[in-house]
Amino acid sequence: MMQTASPARAGKMEAGRRSRPSFEAWSWLFMRVSGLALIFLALVHFALTHIVTDVADTGSDFVDDRWANPLWRLFDWALLTLALFHGLGGLRWIIDDYVRSPGRRAVIKVSLYAVALSLFALGTITILTY
Amino acid sequence: MSLKSRVYRGKSGQWAFITHRITGFLVFAFLLLHIVDVSLIARPRLYDQVHELYGNVLLRLFEVGLLFALVYHSLNGLRIVMIDFFPGSIRNERTVLVAVTVISVGATLAGGYVIMKPFIEGRLL
Repeated sequence: MMQTASPARAGKMEAGRRSRPSFEAWSWLFMRVSGLALIFLALVHFALTHIVTDVADTGSDFVDDRWANPLWRLFDWALLTLALFHGLGGLRWIIDDYVRSPGRRAVIKVSLYAVALSLFALGTITILTY
Repeated sequence: MSLKSRVYRGKSGQWAFITHRITGFLVFAFLLLHIVDVSLIARPRLYDQVHELYGNVLLRLFEVGLLFALVYHSLNGLRIVMIDFFPGSIRNERTVLVAVTVISVGATLAGGYVIMKPFIEGRLL
């Protein structure tokens, strides 16, 4: 049974949506907040490993020195987590824009999430168990 | 109607949108690779063998490209945050985008010089 929503009803639904932000609204906010944090985290990381120290001098000894300090591990883990999920959010939008077939879209998204979650686990284990 | 005439040709914002996507995609692709190469640290000898590749001239050029993508995506992202959180704060979109591009190119040239220094000074291939 189909019924057209009355204006009052539509207004109520809209108000309901406003009071409880959707997943997409949270996603939008996360992209901006994580983006701001990543400007600091990613640029500091790049500067330390390519500008302040030459990339050739950032071998296992360099990692050993840095990860002796738990705060650097926390820094690297925050960078890993925010960058990975920020990138995942971006790629999700790209897939929605360019992959039009629902079946292919689902397959590509599921594969992407599987790869990203596996790498998140790999990165976390790497930082924790070194 | 030819295909060409149907392609949407936007203004500066359209270019910012496209370049933001491309630079974001490239940084994300590198991130996936980078998580794998860092995970080799569990076996330090192997890590060092793989890591040595990052010092060669081709990968140094790649790192300069990565620097541009990072700085451009950062500054353009800041422009997006300003537009979204402080509507009206940007009076002239085009000028801000030009500034984003100029600062990104400048930072890439300065950082690129440091990254390529061993090659420029002939200490590397």
